[in-house]
Amino acid sequence: MSERPMTSRSGAIRFHDAGIVYPNGVVGMKDLDLEIQPGEFVVIVGSSGAGKSTLLRAINGLNTLTSGRVEINGEALNTGSTRQLRRVRKNIGMIFQDFRLVKRLSVMSNVLIGRLAHVPAWRSMLGLWPREDREIAADALKRVGITDKAWVKASQLSGGQQQRVGIARALAQQPAIILADEPVASLDPVTTHQIMRDLVRINRELGITTLVNLHFLDLAREYGDRIIGLRFGELVYDGSARTVTDEDFRDIYGRDLTADDVVEDEAVEGGEGGGE
Amino acid sequence: MIPARPSPNWPLWIGVVGFLAAMTVWSAYGIGFSASELACNIAGGTRLLEESWPPDFGFLPRLAGPMMETVYIAIIGTVVGGILAIPVAVLAARNLTPNRPTWFVDRNFMNILRTLPDLFWAMLFATAVGFGPVAGALALTVFTVAVISKLYSESLESIDMGLPEAIRAAGGNWLQMIQFGALPQAMQQYVSYALYAFELNIRASVVLGLVGAGGIGMILETQRANFEYERVTMIILAVLVAVLIIEEISESIRKRLT
Repeated sequence: MSERPMTSRSGAIRFHDAGIVYPNGVVGMKDLDLEIQPGEFVVIVGSSGAGKSTLLRAINGLNTLTSGRVEINGEALNTGSTRQLRRVRKNIGMIFQDFRLVKRLSVMSNVLIGRLAHVPAWRSMLGLWPREDREIAADALKRVGITDKAWVKASQLSGGQQQRVGIARALAQQPAIILADEPVASLDPVTTHQIMRDLVRINRELGITTLVNLHFLDLAREYGDRIIGLRFGELVYDGSARTVTDEDFRDIYGRDLTADDVVEDEAVEGGEGGGE
Repeated sequence: MIPARPSPNWPLWIGVVGFLAAMTVWSAYGIGFSASELACNIAGGTRLLEESWPPDFGFLPRLAGPMMETVYIAIIGTVVGGILAIPVAVLAARNLTPNRPTWFVDRNFMNILRTLPDLFWAMLFATAVGFGPVAGALALTVFTVAVISKLYSESLESIDMGLPEAIRAAGGNWLQMIQFGALPQAMQQYVSYALYAFELNIRASVVLGLVGAGGIGMILETQRANFEYERVTMIILAVLVAVLIIEEISESIRKRLT
């Protein structure tokens, strides 16, 4: 198949003095200053409720800042224009812990949902997808290695396969940025490593800026380039995955580390080279 | 050891039963019900039954046309009403409606539709387009919207909002969010409600015929007015069989859905 470019734009993200206070008074983000360069692979860690999801969801406007600003490729979000919001979201793929597929539709139909914002609305709603968009979707499926499942109903796939469909759907957007919100939290250890390797490979091959929320520290260390630590909505760590220490993790989590903070890793199958 | 069984709340039970009995007696008095009169007049009822038997099977061939008309009316009402019910249900679902005023208006619209009986709509449309099957089909269309929209909007309110959010995150607009994120999740319920509405519509279209909205009900009314009771029995038998067959089919489809 042709080597079409899967992304067109560079994905730079910049938070400036950003904050989110939820209507119930909970602080989701506090005085955040953060800059992410195009093509970076960033892992965000922190205990639950630390604001990891809030951070990701602020980037595509699912959460709105209550103070400060966030810029995607230099363009400020939160202007209140739904049209602008949709244009920005078009270039940001999102992957979810619970996959969020249309279970009764085929894998192909699910991946085509990534093309919704790229074709005229009536075409998508009548299922009259242009040939070019079908090819982009097929290409995305190929990149996650489940081309043979294209016409299978999404509900019939295993968890790992469903998450691959989720990744393919994000890829079909030809995004500049991919946001993965706990993408492996409902998967077994073997599948977890496969999905993480997929995400890293796609980041390397296509240069898509990738942000991944994780709560397993060994995964963060193994797959991240840059690690960002959050605690109570505040940035408490920002550094390389190669130099991060257990001491740093203790500071991020505000407690001692336990066995629950790592994926059990003895059972990696077939020596497929699970990182170094 | 099981603890001793707590004694039932006798005052409550006596109160409830007493209340229901009092209400029934009071209502019977209100409509002038008298057991002795019923006993005296029951003979008239038996004479009617005698005149109605045996059913006039020779009349059966002439029922095919009106019976099909009844089915046509029910089909049009179910299909058109079923489609119109979708937007009504979506706008009345709190989690999907675009804004509160829309929700409020649509919800009240839905409630008004449901409050007015199908006979009212039949008479309204009979006045508008004349007596006949078209008025019946229009009345059942409205009736179907009323039946399905309420049930369906409640199903839509209980869907998982994660998928609609994912559609939004991919840059989808409101309509796309509804089509790809919300409707598929309540698809089974929708089909089930539509089949249920079809069963109701078959029965309702018989009744609507009595007020001149076409179909088998209309012929039932003319034969009754002419004291052709053996034919009336035949019509009732035919309706019974048709309704049973349709409900059986619909029921088996609905079972297979789940």
